[in-house]
Amino acid sequence: MAALPVVLLSCYPAGPEYVEDLDVTYTTYDQDFDFQSKSTYAMPDQIVIDVEIEDGDTTYVYMKDIFADPILAAIEDNMLAKGWERVGIHQDPEVLVTPAAISSTTYFYTYWYDWWYGGWYGGWGWYYPPSYTVSSYTTGTMIITMADPNVEDDSPINQSETAWVAAANGLFTGDYDLSRVTRAIDEMFDQSPYLKLN
Amino acid sequence: MKKLLPILAIILVTCGALNAQSNFTVAYSMGFASGDLADFVSQASFRGATMEFRKMVQPNVGVGLTFGWNVFYEELSRESYTVGASTLTGKQFRYSNHFPMLLGGTYYLSPGEKFNPFVGLGIGTIYTRRNTDMNLYTVEQEAWNFALQPEVGFLYSVTDGAALFVSGRFNQGFKAGNELESDQSFFTLNVGFSFMNQ
Repeated sequence: MAALPVVLLSCYPAGPEYVEDLDVTYTTYDQDFDFQSKSTYAMPDQIVIDVEIEDGDTTYVYMKDIFADPILAAIEDNMLAKGWERVGIHQDPEVLVTPAAISSTTYFYTYWYDWWYGGWYGGWGWYYPPSYTVSSYTTGTMIITMADPNVEDDSPINQSETAWVAAANGLFTGDYDLSRVTRAIDEMFDQSPYLKLN
Repeated sequence: MKKLLPILAIILVTCGALNAQSNFTVAYSMGFASGDLADFVSQASFRGATMEFRKMVQPNVGVGLTFGWNVFYEELSRESYTVGASTLTGKQFRYSNHFPMLLGGTYYLSPGEKFNPFVGLGIGTIYTRRNTDMNLYTVEQEAWNFALQPEVGFLYSVTDGAALFVSGRFNQGFKAGNELESDQSFFTLNVGFSFMNQ
């Protein structure tokens, strides 16, 4: 009869089965920003993944083109579908679209005493010593922002407020499955009907 | 979850020791949500168990303790949730755990007969823990609901000391605390065995 709790635990709902089940996409925007009065945007050809500061010099680290190109193409396709025209950075774009990607690794350790049940002898307790495990998981986040570069003169700190922020987060598996990223980019734009100009 | 196992084990051992003029029941418990709980998890629960101990104070009246565990679970498809200017898309995994703990009284209509219908009422508490998982995060809401648990069912003797136990219970947990804003109620169908000590 003391085995009953073990039986109960074994039938606890399983939860997420696939790493994609944990992917989330988030967007938010400035409700006072007039997207409809804009139509051109500029976007870099590379995606920043890290910033290194050494002796006061700032160096950007970029994603490899083989991964960055399909991501940038997905953003461009979605912007085009919403009616936006991509122009160069020196052609007075009305907004800037800046993609960035970051990864973050969380380490944690756990310890527990292995359970044993005395079963028919009517007792329960723990094995000794406890065991320790160290684990980690890495999440990747893709962030896209949109801002009007022409209003920074109005700001006391010479910066533009972000009009649109989109972020997608998921567990990093090492499979480099770009379809998870491009699906997230599609979702970012699906979530943002206010970006549609046409 | 592991914290609960020793508690369940102690209950089992304790109930086994109290055996004069009594019966002890262990049953599989299926749950069917109603009200606010049904809005949260629409699917029936096939994960649950209950046990009860009844000391006979009259030939046809037993009083004692009832414990149970029912976990409701639902995996939602990938959907978007919008609050103000922000939208989040992802899969939700919803869990609702319920642990009824009640003092109960049972009135047996045909004590000593092979087929022995009964009606009962339990008064106590249901500990409710609701988790909404999305990405790597969970929102956890708890309540200790004051609870009433009316029950109807029957015992069907299979040997001198054991009977088939079938019952239907309505578990009404009244609103408690400020994390869950409504009553938490569900119906359970319980099938198991009662062991009598004459």
